Amino acid sequence: MSILSTNEPPMIAVDSLYKRYHGPFGGDWVLKDVNFSIPRGISVGLVGRNGAGKSTLLRLLGGMDTPDKGRIVQNCQVSWPIGLGGGFQGSMTGRQNVKFVARIHGGEARIGQIIDFVQDFAEIGKAFDQPVKTYSSGMRSRLAFGLSLAFDFDVYLSDEATSVGDASFKAKATAAFRERIGSASLIMVSHSTGILKDLCQAGIWLHQGQAIWYDKLDDAINDYHNSIGKA
Amino acid sequence: MQQQQRSVQKRSSWQVTLHVWHALFMREAMARITGDRLGWLWIFVEPLAHILIFIGIRQLMGRIRHISGAEFIPWFVVGMVTFLMFSTVMNRCINAISSNRALFAYRQVHPVDTILVRAALEGTLKVLVLCLLVLGGQALALDVMPANALVVASVWLSLWLLALGAGLVLSVPVTVVPEFAKFVTMLTMPLYFLSGVIFPIQFLPREVREFLLYNPIYHAVELSRGAFFPHYQLLPGISLQYLLFWALSLVLLGLMLQLRYKARLMAQ
Repeated sequence: MSILSTNEPPMIAVDSLYKRYHGPFGGDWVLKDVNFSIPRGISVGLVGRNGAGKSTLLRLLGGMDTPDKGRIVQNCQVSWPIGLGGGFQGSMTGRQNVKFVARIHGGEARIGQIIDFVQDFAEIGKAFDQPVKTYSSGMRSRLAFGLSLAFDFDVYLSDEATSVGDASFKAKATAAFRERIGSASLIMVSHSTGILKDLCQAGIWLHQGQAIWYDKLDDAINDYHNSIGKA
Repeated sequence: MQQQQRSVQKRSSWQVTLHVWHALFMREAMARITGDRLGWLWIFVEPLAHILIFIGIRQLMGRIRHISGAEFIPWFVVGMVTFLMFSTVMNRCINAISSNRALFAYRQVHPVDTILVRAALEGTLKVLVLCLLVLGGQALALDVMPANALVVASVWLSLWLLALGAGLVLSVPVTVVPEFAKFVTMLTMPLYFLSGVIFPIQFLPREVREFLLYNPIYHAVELSRGAFFPHYQLLPGISLQYLLFWALSLVLLGLMLQLRYKARLMAQ
């Protein structure tokens, strides 16, 4: 916990967080007494097996969902969770979706700028004016990523947002985030350790409902790999 | 400077809500225009089709009765358009949450916002339809100018609130248990007849009339007609207060349900 010893309040503090989903047959705790705090300017990689609660944790951090118990204190502007899990209305075109998101973030005044930026970043050509339901997952991810970068958040939440992109897009996304290191940080779920190591310093391993904090991402990845028997 | 502009500004809750309503309104309006091939046209063709079909049926059956204080066609048209305002706003509200589900990825957007915005959009469209029908009727030399436009406006506003309230309440079970939608459709079908749109309830026996007076939509339909036709005889017991009582109660109940079940409504 050496990074935490500064006097500055943490960027995000999670305090005894519990979450479960109520299905027809009850539900087990997805997150059970999760505690951690993220210092300002630190990017965190979230690792854990499928169903460990990584996306749930991101949804809670993004304010899409409310915890059953416990609380999250944020001293920063947090993005919506960027990724495959939606955020676009399929019947609307890319352009309409971008306009919508710009408006709800209070960006009506510079809506033209935002559209130009996203169009430029996503590089999806004419598809920008086609309904999003016709997009491939790679195109969706390009649009989602470009859209989130049009706003200066303190923290970007990424749920496998880069995993389906091609090599050139991955490079572009990584470069865009590199540029922002120092002014913005990233909380990232990804199963590709390469991109995690590129962008994150610290790590959280979600294991059996618990979140284990690591000052060094490598240690989190090692422990996670050991637990699934992958050396 | 560039950096300053791009950053996400701190806004008050009200500002955020207003921005969300604006964004949703633009999105809903676009979807309504470009949603299907008929788009805008259908908004105006639908009430006209209803009117023509029922007038046709009545003509074929030769059962045009005399309605005291009003001619049959304007009487029917006013009742029909008033009823359609209620049923369209309510039905569109019920489906508002499920058709905007993807947008709940942004924490600024709450389920109740989608219902409020839809009700506003649909209400505006129906007022436009009414205005066009009145002007169209006037052009055809039918006497359809409202005798008391202020009363028409207040009745319509009350009925709009009733539709919004019904939408707020019913969208909760319909969104949580989608099968419930079938019951809602079945239950709203007889409303057409129970609200005195096609058949003048004045002709029914007193016991039946008193039973039908429990229906607040019937009150709105009759009040609307009363405001249009200066010599129209309203049944005793028709009151704007009764309509408003239902409307405000349903809106309150609806908002409470929306608050209570917010998490369930947002769940995928």
